[in-house]
Amino acid sequence: MGINIKIKSFNALEGLPRFVYVLAVIAALGMSAGLYRLYAGLADTTNLSTVFPWGLWISFDLTNVAFSGAAFTLSMLVYIFHMHDLHAAVRPTVLFGLLGYSSVLVILFFDLGRWDRFWHFLVYPNLSSALFEVSWCIAIYSAILTFEFSPVILDKFKNEKISKIVQKMTIGMVIAGITLSSMHQSSLGSLFVIQIHRLHPLWYSLAQPEFFLVSSMAAGISTIIIGSYVSIWMFKQTLSEKIIEKLGSFVPWIFGLYLLMKIGDLILGNKLGLLFTSGMLSVLYIAELLLTLAAIIWFSVKKLRATRKNALNGALIIAAGIVLNRFDVTWFAMKSIDGATYFPSFIEIALLVGVTSGLIVVFSLAAHFFPVFSETLPVKDLPQSELVALKLVSIFCGRLMI
Amino acid sequence: MAKYGFLIDASRCIDCRACLVACSVENNVPMKSTRIWIKDSGVTGEFPNLERHTAPFHCMHCIDPSCVSACTVGALQKNEDGIITYDNEACIGCRYCMYACPFEVPHFEWDQQFALITKCDLCVSRLGDGEAEPACAATCPTDAIQFGKREDMLAMAHNRIKDESSRYVDHVFGEHENGGTSTFYISPVPFEQLGFPSTETMESPAHFNRIATEEGTPIIAVGAAIGMTGIYLAIEHNQKKNGTDKIEHVETKHDSAGKE
Amino acid sequence: MTKTISRRDFLKISAASVGALAVGQMLPPMVAKAAKESGVLNAAGDGVISTMCEMCVWRCGVLAKIKDGRVVKLDGNPEHPHSNGNLCPRGQSGLMNTYDPDRVLTPLIRVGKRGEGKFREASWEEALDLVASKMTEIKNKYGAEAMVFSSTHNLSQPLFENLLYAFGSPNYGTQRSLCFNAMIVANTMTYGMEEPARIYDDKLKYILLTGRNLLEAISTSETSDLSHAIDRGAKVVYLDPRYTKTASKATEWLPIKPGNDLAFHLALLHIIIGEKLYNRSFVEKNTVGFDELKKEVSRYTPEWAAALTGITAETIARIAHEFADAAPHALAHNGWRTSNFVNSFHTQRAISILNALIGNWDIVLTESGGEESGALGAPPQPAYPRVSALRLDGVPWKYPVVPFKIGVFQELRDNIVSGDPYQAHGWFISRQNPVMSIPDRSKTLEAFGKLDFIVTVDIVLNDTAWFSDVVLPEASYLERYDPLLPFGDKVFLRQPVIEPQGQAKSALWIYKQLGERLGLSDYFQYEDEEDYIRQQLKPLGVTLEEVKAKGYAEAPETPHAGESAEKRWNTPSGKIELFSDTLAKVGFSGVPTWDEPPQPAEGQFYLLTGKVAQSTQFGTQNNQLLNKYSDEPRMWINAQVAAKLDLATDDWVEVTSEVGQIHIPVLVTQAIRSDCVFMTPGYGHLSKGLTTAYGVGASDSVLHVTYTDPISGGQALSQTFVTVKKVEDESSAETLKPLYSGE
Ligand SMILES: Nc1nc2c(c(=O)[nH]1)N[C@H]1C(S)=C(S)[C@@H](COP(=O)(O)OP(=O)(O)OC[C@H]3O[C@@H](n4cnc5c(=O)[nH]c(N)nc54)[C@H](O)[C@@H]3O)O[C@H]1N2
Ligand SMILES: Nc1nc2c(c(=O)[nH]1)N[C@H]1C(S)=C(S)[C@@H](COP(=O)(O)OP(=O)(O)OC[C@H]3O[C@@H](n4cnc5c(=O)[nH]c(N)nc54)[C@H](O)[C@@H]3O)O[C@H]1N2
Ligand code: SF4
Ligand code: SF4
Ligand code: SF4
Ligand code: SF4
Ligand code: SF4
Ligand SMILES: [Mo]
Repeated sequence: MGINIKIKSFNALEGLPRFVYVLAVIAALGMSAGLYRLYAGLADTTNLSTVFPWGLWISFDLTNVAFSGAAFTLSMLVYIFHMHDLHAAVRPTVLFGLLGYSSVLVILFFDLGRWDRFWHFLVYPNLSSALFEVSWCIAIYSAILTFEFSPVILDKFKNEKISKIVQKMTIGMVIAGITLSSMHQSSLGSLFVIQIHRLHPLWYSLAQPEFFLVSSMAAGISTIIIGSYVSIWMFKQTLSEKIIEKLGSFVPWIFGLYLLMKIGDLILGNKLGLLFTSGMLSVLYIAELLLTLAAIIWFSVKKLRATRKNALNGALIIAAGIVLNRFDVTWFAMKSIDGATYFPSFIEIALLVGVTSGLIVVFSLAAHFFPVFSETLPVKDLPQSELVALKLVSIFCGRLMI
Repeated sequence: MAKYGFLIDASRCIDCRACLVACSVENNVPMKSTRIWIKDSGVTGEFPNLERHTAPFHCMHCIDPSCVSACTVGALQKNEDGIITYDNEACIGCRYCMYACPFEVPHFEWDQQFALITKCDLCVSRLGDGEAEPACAATCPTDAIQFGKREDMLAMAHNRIKDESSRYVDHVFGEHENGGTSTFYISPVPFEQLGFPSTETMESPAHFNRIATEEGTPIIAVGAAIGMTGIYLAIEHNQKKNGTDKIEHVETKHDSAGKE
Repeated sequence: MTKTISRRDFLKISAASVGALAVGQMLPPMVAKAAKESGVLNAAGDGVISTMCEMCVWRCGVLAKIKDGRVVKLDGNPEHPHSNGNLCPRGQSGLMNTYDPDRVLTPLIRVGKRGEGKFREASWEEALDLVASKMTEIKNKYGAEAMVFSSTHNLSQPLFENLLYAFGSPNYGTQRSLCFNAMIVANTMTYGMEEPARIYDDKLKYILLTGRNLLEAISTSETSDLSHAIDRGAKVVYLDPRYTKTASKATEWLPIKPGNDLAFHLALLHIIIGEKLYNRSFVEKNTVGFDELKKEVSRYTPEWAAALTGITAETIARIAHEFADAAPHALAHNGWRTSNFVNSFHTQRAISILNALIGNWDIVLTESGGEESGALGAPPQPAYPRVSALRLDGVPWKYPVVPFKIGVFQELRDNIVSGDPYQAHGWFISRQNPVMSIPDRSKTLEAFGKLDFIVTVDIVLNDTAWFSDVVLPEASYLERYDPLLPFGDKVFLRQPVIEPQGQAKSALWIYKQLGERLGLSDYFQYEDEEDYIRQQLKPLGVTLEEVKAKGYAEAPETPHAGESAEKRWNTPSGKIELFSDTLAKVGFSGVPTWDEPPQPAEGQFYLLTGKVAQSTQFGTQNNQLLNKYSDEPRMWINAQVAAKLDLATDDWVEVTSEVGQIHIPVLVTQAIRSDCVFMTPGYGHLSKGLTTAYGVGASDSVLHVTYTDPISGGQALSQTFVTVKKVEDESSAETLKPLYSGE
């Protein structure tokens, strides 16, 4: 009997792509790196220091939250702006968001000096703390994302009654979700408002919360476009080019606003001079601006956003701009003390790679068991060139682990 | 309630570090951590015209402390007497305070399995036990650290500069820095030379932080909630009028990525 | 090639075991029973007990805070004149000496070879019986003089001396000749007292410090006094080849060429006498030998001194004038360990005389109270046996003016090696670390090799104990009583603030036990520590309980000579002796005279040594709290020279002297003359029983060549010249002559 069950569950995994097993092993290794960090303390396992109390993990978390903004951006377009033609993207995007936030929480857990007290923010409030707000918002928003994902699960179990109730609640939940997202996306920017002495003035701005909020929407769109591409490799599923084109068409507006705000900030903050006198940091800042501008132009041209492949390139430009921005703010543009530098340790990288791999594994499993891709387009043949790209990506991931 | 204050005179400090040891003992600070350091200009000048200046350094006990406004769980608090206390029972070790403090005061016990922050709490327990002075001030053999009421210390700082203008630069560090602190320094050399961070801001960033968190976030939240509801209702209303309220799934034509 | 553990690695290692723990968590609670009984502690064992610091010889007053029967904090006692409420870093760290995880807490008897560090624990009965039988055996076989005793200044020293004098040995080594013999012999020859007290009052205007690094080599009250004087605007001129922290606070730093302080001071005398800047009436009334002095110094012009010292003639002349102008509110500080060269006695005499010439007596300098109070009682005891054997340290047959109680320790060590004029066979050492403190460490170990029996009383396995046959664990200063300390109009008490840990016992107990086993119980007529102190207190009419509660008792000050109308000095002439007949009679110059010091050859450096505020000599590097706040031990080298030798900070060098070689990282700095290098003493410990200190830094004692000032018997510590060579590896190269390994 027991054997039967085992065989059965084994069978249940049949058809799961092979890379999922590889990633599961990587995730397990990464998690053991994390457990080792809990055991050995931060001093021996990370390169964090008094000068750089936050490192790769926090930079990653902030970037990850921005990209996980896909969920709220899309829900906004679909449910609030009634663009139901985009609905096909909702399920995978919500799942990605949910897992994105979960991985942020997992990494934060490993980052805390008193990880055993991760729940303290629930009982020790400090209303003026941006990190307190972020913690609460992310916690509640994760619950909402779970709710938003619940139709997928209910679909599988075909429980009409509950599905009905869920459907009724959807719009309220979506509004709450968007509200919470606006709060924490901006509060992540607020984290830096107090760091006037640490953050380079090019980046330091009282409008940092708004920068983060606005840019997270563009990040979200890039997530969906890139995701639709990656899912071709991984799940032989994708979104229609129509959806992609439509999503892309919002980018010039969002990034246009973002660029205007940034330039306004430079002018109002009297920082134009710094733009050319801050050495390497000038280069980084200008790179951010140029990437933003490039994305605006790219998505303004219909031809460039209308095909899947072209849109992917545009989305990569957005992503590069966002990654660069979040790493600048949390790491590169942080003033060093006594010239100290920071580069992540092996364990820091290993945990990160492990958690990311875990994220993909869970996503795959979810997609395997639940109708995540119920509305998307199945893809039959994988183009040769893309297989090569896929291999390159997995080799790269493997390298990071070693 | 009277506010406490320090006056630290760099012209007196001999870098003996009695204050450092005293603090470690008084507060049972782990061997690898410390709550107080020496700021050291190093030996400067050309032989034999050399100079060297030092001064002890610990939490400034700011009037509007950035760390308190930032701390995720409110482990850092400001007492009525001006002491910025730290609750090691609440702290989660997120290290946000380390970024918040403009003076690089909170330090982290990197080597501990369950790591906490170390920060001067002005020997609050010692004062509570009825001692007149914190451990560092009490032991200093040169009276480089003086302790008393904040306003007395500030007045004393200005008096010393006035009385011996050739001995000190005309700057009471801490009077305005980070919006004003409870620890005042006077020194024979500019404070940058001693390695002090130059935080000339007349307002603590805690102020901006509060604007961002306590005003900005609610505005964004309310704005988002009302805006979204409004837009939703408006469009809903419009579509009903135009009869286009039926949910329409446009995914009909299957295209293949392979064909591109 | 053994790799030395760098300090940082070392901290890591020790942190894994104990270093990570905070002070208060080391050992199970101890209860200060006595204090509870006297009501100082409450029932829970909490309270404050007054006692005295012994992290150095200054002995500041301490208020020990006790919680749950453990010392949790030491604060300066405001009522004690040596602390005035403050403690220096070493004083602050004192409880960590007591709670040092490396404390020796039972008597140890060596089982391995000497220096192997293998011991077994023994009962006090067995250890004391063994020591007594060995001592008796040596006495019976070779005479009492074959047993050598040595100890560094401490409160139970009178009882230690009791033991050795009653035993009948003339051989007694103290730290003094390693420290300030030049100063005390010079003052004795001049004023008839070892060291006049200094008064730092509001009027003091001018202070001349010759190598007295008071702001780092701390004596808490005097360090405070100097600092406050600077605050009040007193001018401080500081002579040191090194830019120390004292130099950084001084009005003027003169980087004098080592060994030539004598020339500087002779030139000051030349100007002050030549230009009649001295206090004529004081000199006439209170001194003898002015004319001889005048004649002698007439040849020491500032120009002559300028060539020797590296200080310009104008500067010297200016300082002479400033000093005289400030008179009598001017102080020429003798310095303590200013025994840097073979000519230091004359330097010290010149300084003492400088003070006499400006007549600052009873204004800046005055009679020192001394530590022996006639007001105190003592247990009765018979006279000591007469001793006829020569002293091994050459007093007085080689060093005729060195007082008996002071001696010439390094010569004692040398003559243990040479076996001349007779062979010593045993060494009894108490609270001292001669393996490190006498120059030429390998020679000291060679001396150990000549001995049948070595016993050490200490609180940890210091380097000397490491090479001993028996180690007797003394209770630490926070765990024991010591004899009372008279000071001014008070007597101060050291009392236990916690019970002794393990089997550790007070020196009062140890010496009495030994005395009894040696058949000398008549010299130790007290029941226990408290009884000893009660006998001391008897004439004062105060009870021990009263003293314990307050930490001190009022005592009538011993009247000193200065109070009669006609001041009489304790010298043969009864006056301050500018010319000393005593000196002249034994063939030395009666007045300070130029004595050319040796100079380093091309490519050699003066090896300087000196204190840092965060450690005392060779005994506190294992204190984790001090270790925590100490700089890494590196050898200072002048920046220009370093550039020539292609050296950057933290590069390793091989340093070689006539007697030894070490490897050490350098600190490249402007703060030292180009012909000098500097090392902090107290690193490079040999004892692996010091787990925090072992493996950290290198020892200057390995390099120091033994030179002795022929008049005062002081060791000349700056007279060692070394060569410096860059090396690539970090291997420790302390080349020791092969050790004798006992048995
Ligand atoms: N923190 C601390 N304080 C202490 C002690 C300690 O170990 N640690 N020890 C105590 C004891 S026992 C003593 S004796 C005193 C010692 O007190 P000091 O005599 O003041 O101290 P040292 O550091 O031994 O030597 C002082 C200086 O002499 C300089 N020097 C070397 N050669 C020459 C020379 O030829 N001419 C001149 N002018 N200067 C020279 C050295 O560079 C050094 O800076 O300190 C006492 N106080
Ligand atoms: N290279 C070099 N040599 C020097 C000097 C220098 O500056 N450089 N300085 C010289 C000077 S000024 C001096 S005074 C001498 C000092 O030379 P020493 O007196 O030989 O050296 P200390 O380190 O003071 O030795 C003190 C010993 O007492 C032990 N001890 C501490 N507390 C107690 C206690 O309560 N009971 C007992 N029984 N033992 C205890 C310590 O563990 C340590 O082993 O060294 C001299 N030698
Ligand atoms: S105790 Fe006083 S003199 Fe010593 S380092 Fe501290 S502030 Fe400076
Ligand atoms: S100095 Fe830093 S830690 Fe101290 S109160 Fe001010 S902000 Fe807080
Ligand atoms: S580390 Fe502790 S004290 Fe600092 S902000 Fe985080 S919770 Fe607050
Ligand atoms: S006030 Fe107390 S806690 Fe703060 S540095 Fe001084 S001794 Fe340490
Ligand atoms: S000077 Fe320092 S070590 Fe010496 S007795 Fe005083 S407090 Fe103790
Ligand atoms: Mo000494």
